[in-house]
Amino acid sequence: MQLLRFLHHLFIPHESNNQKGKILHPSSLTIIAVFLVGFQLLLNVFPRGLPRVLGYAANISPGEVIRLTNAQRAANGLSTVTENANLDSAALAKGNDMLAKGYWAHFAPDGTSPWSFFLSFGYKYQYAGENLARDFSNANDAVNAWMNSPTHRENILNSKYKEIGIGVVEGNLAGVDTTVIVQFFGAPLGNSPSIPIAQAQEQGKSVALKPSIAPKKLATPSLSPEPTIAPVIIRTPTPLPQASPQSISSVFISPFSSTKNLSSAVLGLLLMALSIDIIVIRRKRIARIGGRTLAHIAFLGMILAVILILKAGQII
Amino acid sequence: MKSFVRDLPHYMLLIGILLAGFAGLTLFSYDRNFQIAVALATGISYVSWGLIHHHIHRDLHFEVFMEYLAVAILGTVIIFSLILQ
Repeated sequence: MQLLRFLHHLFIPHESNNQKGKILHPSSLTIIAVFLVGFQLLLNVFPRGLPRVLGYAANISPGEVIRLTNAQRAANGLSTVTENANLDSAALAKGNDMLAKGYWAHFAPDGTSPWSFFLSFGYKYQYAGENLARDFSNANDAVNAWMNSPTHRENILNSKYKEIGIGVVEGNLAGVDTTVIVQFFGAPLGNSPSIPIAQAQEQGKSVALKPSIAPKKLATPSLSPEPTIAPVIIRTPTPLPQASPQSISSVFISPFSSTKNLSSAVLGLLLMALSIDIIVIRRKRIARIGGRTLAHIAFLGMILAVILILKAGQII
Repeated sequence: MKSFVRDLPHYMLLIGILLAGFAGLTLFSYDRNFQIAVALATGISYVSWGLIHHHIHRDLHFEVFMEYLAVAILGTVIIFSLILQ
């Protein structure tokens, strides 16, 4: 009985709640907002106490990423890129480096560039590019996310690239188990005697190293004052790395899904409360001081639509 | 219903604001900074819409402002909790 009274007070406009369900009062909405912020703080603190509980389950194979990339290239009238063992090894090394040093960027905190991984595995490039993705559950979503970003799309659809290497690594990044995808593109030096150009697509801005005769960071033996040196492609005979096993990490809590589900539930509850409010107010012809319920329904409905569409995953 | 029809231009503007916010948040999912800006802009626009709407109707009170502000803050917090994951 008390529970019914409480629910009545919470949702039904009445004298006791100033003709507006208590849950719709600004104070209650503020409490809900604070609760949601607290939940996020908990998700951030949780990993420190109990590691390997938060994470994203993934089922991504390098071969699938390459297939999807080539499908996009073919759909745009471009030739496919061929998988290169050295690029695969380099991409894998970059992924492992990110997990080991705990960074999510093209350039490591110690200044290590993505191109150094190319050179470490003997890939002397004419052109080079890198795309990164994390927290995606499948290869298709990751490739679609790259294609939806103009700068990453530019990398995938660059006609200058001839070869590709993919590294898929699973590990702990900032306290969350995740899957990182490293996509390296390259054109081996020797296609034409010109200066190497490398491109890492940062969000919204292209970090293109301007072609220079004496680049400061690229310590490559192939760079010399005479760019017409006969190109030599050194391929270290490295066996193709094992494709990441189709593993589904057993994680208990996906931070994104948890947040999404909780937010959807909260919004659903509020929209229900607003609907009840508008029906009761109109039926009883209650006059009151307050905002437009229809406007609140439209706003929160838009927020709900956005969170239902949003997917987990980040790209840089 | 009468009031809704009378206020149709107001609600059309509100729909426009919300559609712009929806488009910005979904189409630019690869650009976190832009999403943050769109979420903030949509929240601020929503509160502004409420203030202007109620001012025109001469029923603008502090409680009304607080209500729109609380709804906007809640919506923005929800969006931020997802895009800042």
